[in-house]
Amino acid sequence: MSTQHTCDDTGTLVAYLYDDIDAATRDAVRRHLETCARCRDEVTALGGVREALSAWTPAVPDLRFTVVPESAVSNVLRPQVPAWQTVPRWAQLVAATLALAVGASVANVQLRHDDRGWTLTTGWLPAAAPAPVAPAPDDTALRAELASLRQSLQALAARPAPVPAAVAAPAAGPGDLLAQVRTLVDASEKRQEQQLALRLAQFGRDVDVQRRADLVRVEQGLGQLEGRTGAEVARQREAINYLIRAGLRPPQ
Amino acid sequence: MQALTITDEELVARSMDGDVDSFNQLIKRWERPIYALAYRTLGREEDARDVCQETFLRAYRAIKGFKGQAKFSSWLYRIALNLCRDWMRRQRRTPTVQVPEDVDIADLASAQGPVESIETLVGRRQLGRAVAAAMAGLPDEQRTAIILKEYHGLTFQEIAEMQGCPLSTVKTRLYQGLSVVRRQLEKGGMSAADIRGDAS
Repeated sequence: MSTQHTCDDTGTLVAYLYDDIDAATRDAVRRHLETCARCRDEVTALGGVREALSAWTPAVPDLRFTVVPESAVSNVLRPQVPAWQTVPRWAQLVAATLALAVGASVANVQLRHDDRGWTLTTGWLPAAAPAPVAPAPDDTALRAELASLRQSLQALAARPAPVPAAVAAPAAGPGDLLAQVRTLVDASEKRQEQQLALRLAQFGRDVDVQRRADLVRVEQGLGQLEGRTGAEVARQREAINYLIRAGLRPPQ
Repeated sequence: MQALTITDEELVARSMDGDVDSFNQLIKRWERPIYALAYRTLGREEDARDVCQETFLRAYRAIKGFKGQAKFSSWLYRIALNLCRDWMRRQRRTPTVQVPEDVDIADLASAQGPVESIETLVGRRQLGRAVAAAMAGLPDEQRTAIILKEYHGLTFQEIAEMQGCPLSTVKTRLYQGLSVVRRQLEKGGMSAADIRGDAS
């Protein structure tokens, strides 16, 4: 049993045009085209359109897409965050307050008031005896207030601090005090040296990471440059070859 | 030499096991067709490049979920077409045709070889421009059907699955699209026969 093609079956005509059709239907279309000039012209015209379509050839740029594993990217591009930057801000504030308090205790801050007014002193001075104040008949209340203020300040200054035991123990001799201060200074220097070493190591790592990232960038840039230069040279060479061939062609 | 004989399916299987190099080989094979598809659909180099890149990125992320029911290339085409559709929806505009106005003779000569004459090359370039303009005026479905069939050689069945429509609809879209392009070319006095010199 043979199939028959009809003129209005444009779908089958297109299938015939692209040869995406089974053998029996193809034969049927072929037979029809032998007798139908209209369909024959249609197929010829559509074939011409197909040929015209082949003239549309966009230039494909040098794409070179590449998938890079995330782990490889993280080694190069993600900067390492210093450990101290991961400490919460509130903790940094507490630490700063503590450091200030310790510093004030070590510095032996003293606030006094006498005839000359308010006096703020620091350092390891011998505790000065309060200067006798000549009583004045009309400032009794003020003196009482000042005395209570002085007591409060002394109590505040004498409050035991976590680090300097020497401050709370005035009975210790100057030699012991000096030794303790030296110990404190030594400990502080060691901490600073450790922090410096840590920062230097971190700096070294940062430089190394940046150097690697720069190298990758330079390598990519060189690759692109090389590709462009190569393509340009090839294009120019072909153009020159063409001009030479055109020059050798005999005049018509 | 061995890399040439490895099929897409084998490379896909390796990629599913986490082999990035295998996936990069797939990219190398398919980046040009995908770019060409995106360019012919969108009409702009930059957009085509972006869509091409995004296509492979999405494919890489979803490769473990690739069932293998369709060909890998069909799967890629589908991703790329979806991205093109999204892009056009976002831009709310029809594809544009980006063709340089000037014609570089040396460039044409180097691109086409010395067999054709300069006149033929220039005519061919003009015809390409006219085709691009005519294609840009087609409805999306017709243009996509022509691109997939004409430039990528997909079967009607594959196109039907990709466009989610019956086989007969694909054929109708192709016929209608080709007819419109034909009329547009005739209106502009363009035809492949003129370029070949058959008419003379």
